[in-house]
Amino acid sequence: MRVNVEVNGEQRTEDNVWEGESLLSLLRDRLGLPGAKNACEQGECGSCTVYLDGVPVCACLVAAGQAEGRSVRTVEGLADGDALHPVQQAFVEAGAVQCGFCTPGLLVATHDLLSRVSHPSDGEIREALAGNLCRCTGYEHILDAVRLAATRGGGRRDQEWRSPDRAGRPGAGAPRDTGDPECER
Amino acid sequence: MSTATRETVAGRVGDSAVRPDAALKVRGEFAYSSDLFADDMLWGATLRSPHPHARIRSIDVTAALTLPGVYAALTHADVPGENRYGLDHRDQPVLAEDVVRYQGEPVAVVAADHPETARRALDRIAVDYQVLDPVVDAELAMAEGAPVLHPECPGGNVLRHVRIRRGDPEATAEVVVTGEYRVGMQDQAFLGPESGLAVPAEDGGVDLHVATQWLHVDQSQVAHALGLPPEKVRLTLAGVGGAFGAREDLSMQVHACLLALRTRRPVKMVYGREESFFGHVHRHPALLRYEHGADRHGRLVSVRAEIVLDGGAYASSTPAVVANAATLGIGPYQVPNVRMDCWGVYTNNPPCGAMRGFGAVQACFAYESQMDKLAERLGMDPVELRIRNAMREGSTMPTGQVVDSAAPVAELLRRVRDKPLPPPADPTDPRDLPGGVANTTRGDGVVRGVGYGVGIKNVAFSEGFDDYSTARVRLEVLGGEPVVSVHTAAVEVGQGLVTVQQQIARTELGIARVTVLPADTGVGSAGSSSASRQSYVTGGAVKAACERVRDTLCALAATRLGREVGLVDGKLVTADGAVAASIADVLGDEVIERTVEWRHRPTFPLDPLTGQGNAHTQYAFAAHRAVVDVDVELGLVKVVELACAQDVGRAINPQAVLGQIHGGSAQGLGLAVMEEIQVVDGTVRNPSFTDYLIPTIVDMPPMVVDVLELADPHAPYGLRGVGEPPTISSTPAIVAAIRAATGRALTRVPVRPDDIALAGSASRPVPSRPEVPCD
Amino acid sequence: MIPFDYQRAEDTRSAVATVTARPGAAFLGAGTNLVDHLKLGVAAPDLLVDVSHLPFDMIEPLAGGGVRIGATVRNSDLAVDPVIRQRYPMVSAALLSGASGQLRNVATTAGNLMQRTRCPYFQDVTTPCNKRRPGSGCSALEGYHRDHAILGASRHCVAVHPSDLAVALTALGAVVQVEGVKGARSIPIIDLYRLPDDAPQHDTVLEHGELITAVDLPALPMATRSTYRKVRDRASYAFALVSVAAAVDVERGTVRDVRVALGGVAHKPWRARRAEEALRGAPATDDAFRAAAEAELAGARPLRDNAFKVPMARNTIVATLRELTRREEP
Repeated sequence: MRVNVEVNGEQRTEDNVWEGESLLSLLRDRLGLPGAKNACEQGECGSCTVYLDGVPVCACLVAAGQAEGRSVRTVEGLADGDALHPVQQAFVEAGAVQCGFCTPGLLVATHDLLSRVSHPSDGEIREALAGNLCRCTGYEHILDAVRLAATRGGGRRDQEWRSPDRAGRPGAGAPRDTGDPECER
Repeated sequence: MSTATRETVAGRVGDSAVRPDAALKVRGEFAYSSDLFADDMLWGATLRSPHPHARIRSIDVTAALTLPGVYAALTHADVPGENRYGLDHRDQPVLAEDVVRYQGEPVAVVAADHPETARRALDRIAVDYQVLDPVVDAELAMAEGAPVLHPECPGGNVLRHVRIRRGDPEATAEVVVTGEYRVGMQDQAFLGPESGLAVPAEDGGVDLHVATQWLHVDQSQVAHALGLPPEKVRLTLAGVGGAFGAREDLSMQVHACLLALRTRRPVKMVYGREESFFGHVHRHPALLRYEHGADRHGRLVSVRAEIVLDGGAYASSTPAVVANAATLGIGPYQVPNVRMDCWGVYTNNPPCGAMRGFGAVQACFAYESQMDKLAERLGMDPVELRIRNAMREGSTMPTGQVVDSAAPVAELLRRVRDKPLPPPADPTDPRDLPGGVANTTRGDGVVRGVGYGVGIKNVAFSEGFDDYSTARVRLEVLGGEPVVSVHTAAVEVGQGLVTVQQQIARTELGIARVTVLPADTGVGSAGSSSASRQSYVTGGAVKAACERVRDTLCALAATRLGREVGLVDGKLVTADGAVAASIADVLGDEVIERTVEWRHRPTFPLDPLTGQGNAHTQYAFAAHRAVVDVDVELGLVKVVELACAQDVGRAINPQAVLGQIHGGSAQGLGLAVMEEIQVVDGTVRNPSFTDYLIPTIVDMPPMVVDVLELADPHAPYGLRGVGEPPTISSTPAIVAAIRAATGRALTRVPVRPDDIALAGSASRPVPSRPEVPCD
Repeated sequence: MIPFDYQRAEDTRSAVATVTARPGAAFLGAGTNLVDHLKLGVAAPDLLVDVSHLPFDMIEPLAGGGVRIGATVRNSDLAVDPVIRQRYPMVSAALLSGASGQLRNVATTAGNLMQRTRCPYFQDVTTPCNKRRPGSGCSALEGYHRDHAILGASRHCVAVHPSDLAVALTALGAVVQVEGVKGARSIPIIDLYRLPDDAPQHDTVLEHGELITAVDLPALPMATRSTYRKVRDRASYAFALVSVAAAVDVERGTVRDVRVALGGVAHKPWRARRAEEALRGAPATDDAFRAAAEAELAGARPLRDNAFKVPMARNTIVATLRELTRREEP
């Protein structure tokens, strides 16, 4: 089948996509974007986290055909040319990168968190990143990186990537799912 | 002559230099082994045995080969060299012949033009198995009459037995505590799956790009199986997504090369997560029986122990793990009388081998549990008991080896004990309570506990192994500036070794621009990225090679300048401290390149009867204090805080050292409360991240870390291996804290909710009425 | 993976007609469970009809005071919807205790309800499993079954239903709206799910080709005082060992009405009718809660390795009711 999808601001068309392929293999094996990682391919580890229409998802569990006509942003689309995004820069400086396999997914998840909550508490950071496994760092330096990115206004950039079309939909006007069952009590 | 002022370059030993691969990694542009591709590439896939033990009557690949898009389907008959590999001894077939000894053992491999085609081809391979009863209990495997799994093994199913006898093994003591402990099978659970790309070469050889821990040991095993001379099997390191021991053994290396050589096309193999659980060895499950004797003041008199490690179907590194568990098995304590027996045993369970901590983890859970039990029996504070018996510099190991550098065991314990305790949990925020956001408790029935653990680990390879690393350092002038390139085969698995090599070169040569070339087999072996050894051994090799380059440069400068000079901060300096010349002035177009093979102090085998011998070259220590909150009604544990103190001799890169301590502690936490491969009758029941749980950021608590730097005079810069000790002592500290909160004995890890709150009540008879329909 | 076709549904009617007409066809929601099953070989449809974009993504008031949740409303949107949070907090809590943010962002209401069991044998195509291959046997009975059922199981299947949302909806008495070729029908959620009996291959009573379009929540004033508790092996992102959804109405220390449902204990979300009966009119005390929980669990028949779930379920019921009633009377 043919899949048309906007990736990192660029319209891409791919033919002969096999129906059983995931968005993750479409990105990695066909579109030359290996940044999103293939660690569990069961939606458990978050290494393949990408934005789909402005919302972070596990690309491994999205069928390629379901990306038709939609917009995807991957870790490769975070930096502004040579300049790293503040979230990326913070991960580098804080020592949040060891083997780095979890890093692309964590960057997208952190980017999303900071665009919703500019100065998250540690509890909010932990909740927001609970779907991203890291086996190297014990998470301490990842927390440092998110805090550092927050102090540098890591969430204030590129608001245009936020989902534009949710008016009138359920949850509109409400805070996005932060994972915190108590957040409105 | 240059008159420029001297400046110390940044990013030297002791600085938290930024890792050179970080920018690529955050951009998603770092090429991991699973990201590789080549034009005209095929995809390999592996057919694995569904049975833990079976005889193979026949294998028929004909139907697979008729599937369009399939280019090869190979079995053991297609292995051109000896169909055997293995780290310690070669007992494992590349592809199974007449028998399979564990579930997941490779039986055939295929190459096809699409990964899905390759998987479908596997379905068309017919294997006729005669299923045999699996041997699944390590103790029973040792017993008389058990089916022998490897007839060539002289000890039956006992792969290795290490005996240690010190002092009077029958010594009696006033106070004796005994215990039996078990450790479940832990997985390294690195995130980047086993993968690589094999490219056939013009010369009949093959180039393999792969994520591994030791390029040269892979090279020698692959060449052996392919029947090629080693120089025709060239390995280049691809990006490694974590290792933790699981990449010490071969996985897809030979398979991909076989397929590439057969099809004459590049072949890529990438395991999925489920396959990864079958594709690498795990941490040995262990049964440990201990008897500790002490006088009434709490001074240890004797330790008697028996440890059985389930090695699974093949040897892997089991013999070395057995030696570690035995020699480190009484912990960092002074004990005059020791009787230790440790066995590594073949079974039909998944093969076990290297994982961070390597035998020391299992023993530490047992001996630290014993120390707590002894403290309780004596009415002593558990930290005080440990300090009273703590090993120090000059102490003698049960092997008779004298510890000849810092061993600040008591100091580490005092440091974690004296940290302020964290405040009570906020009962209004479920994230701070057991169960997390599952809203499991409001604080009712939540009890706090505090526990301690301290451990010991050997650094580098032991027992007389010729353990060395090779570094080639090149100095030249490019664009008017001196530039250093460092070439080793040492594997960066994420720990920061590339940065360490840069830092050492900058320190030794005073030159800012240092490039670490890709690791490959074009330079001599660096040994394994394991045993916490690379900063020590490859660091030592890079340092030594830099010194040779420096000596050559200074000799050259002396000739050219007509007087003796030294190299200080990247400038050639006379004895009175004046800058005599820049490197560029002296070197011009010349290139200085030196290659050094560097060894740590030799080690020696253990005496087979007494276990005496200077088997290890360096010891490393860490201590943890764990604070936990336990919902005693539901058995859920929240680790509130982990404090750790570790002596690293010298922190080459303080930020990376902390990263190792945090990450190692997290893996110990995983073993304490959640991580276990469930093996039922030899079959793995949870080969996925849905069912094999590793700690998330919600499970991992804040850490408070003290890093001591007590230089080891025998090691480069005084450094001490860092990676493993924090994995060892966090597990017993957490379990001790849970015991303190619950009063439960908790003799097995991981500790489950079932073990804490409900163990007693679960055994109450449940009425066996007819089923009640639900509505 | 078996080759299959993929179609984007144009509308409900054609989607239902297409799937009904083709025995090997299946609906595809967000795919968070089905895409995984395709890879594992657990599901092998010859046609996937993608219904994830059908216009069932609204949360709307119903005449009579209830609320209709569209089938394609994303879990993350449902969890933070102000009406749901205020009137049915147990629904929000149940959703947020499941999966991860990334999965909740795509997972749909109907897809969540149609999740299949996480029994390891169901997911391992090399082993016998009556749910996956009827008549092949149940490997969990004597195998690994720590996570399995203690209530309502049969010798054919001891699997548990994995959904958290379904437990909350069961406690609330929600009604599922279904579209089929023969027209629409409404099914109380308690009747949607089945016990395994001798046909564990059927999780629900839905006919092949029937599509869930919405879930209706009744106007249940006491649900404003409701919650969901989940006990699991890890603090984030793990399936329930035991979970409890409960709502309670207490007046002057006496339970006037109560709803309790259990997750992680049976092939379907388990409405704890016996406990509810025992509690109505009883004092809101720990003793009464424990007695009610024990009444419910008297019928439990644990397996060799999951007897711990009985006291775990009891303790969770007690703690949940204690929390709710304590809140009731400040």
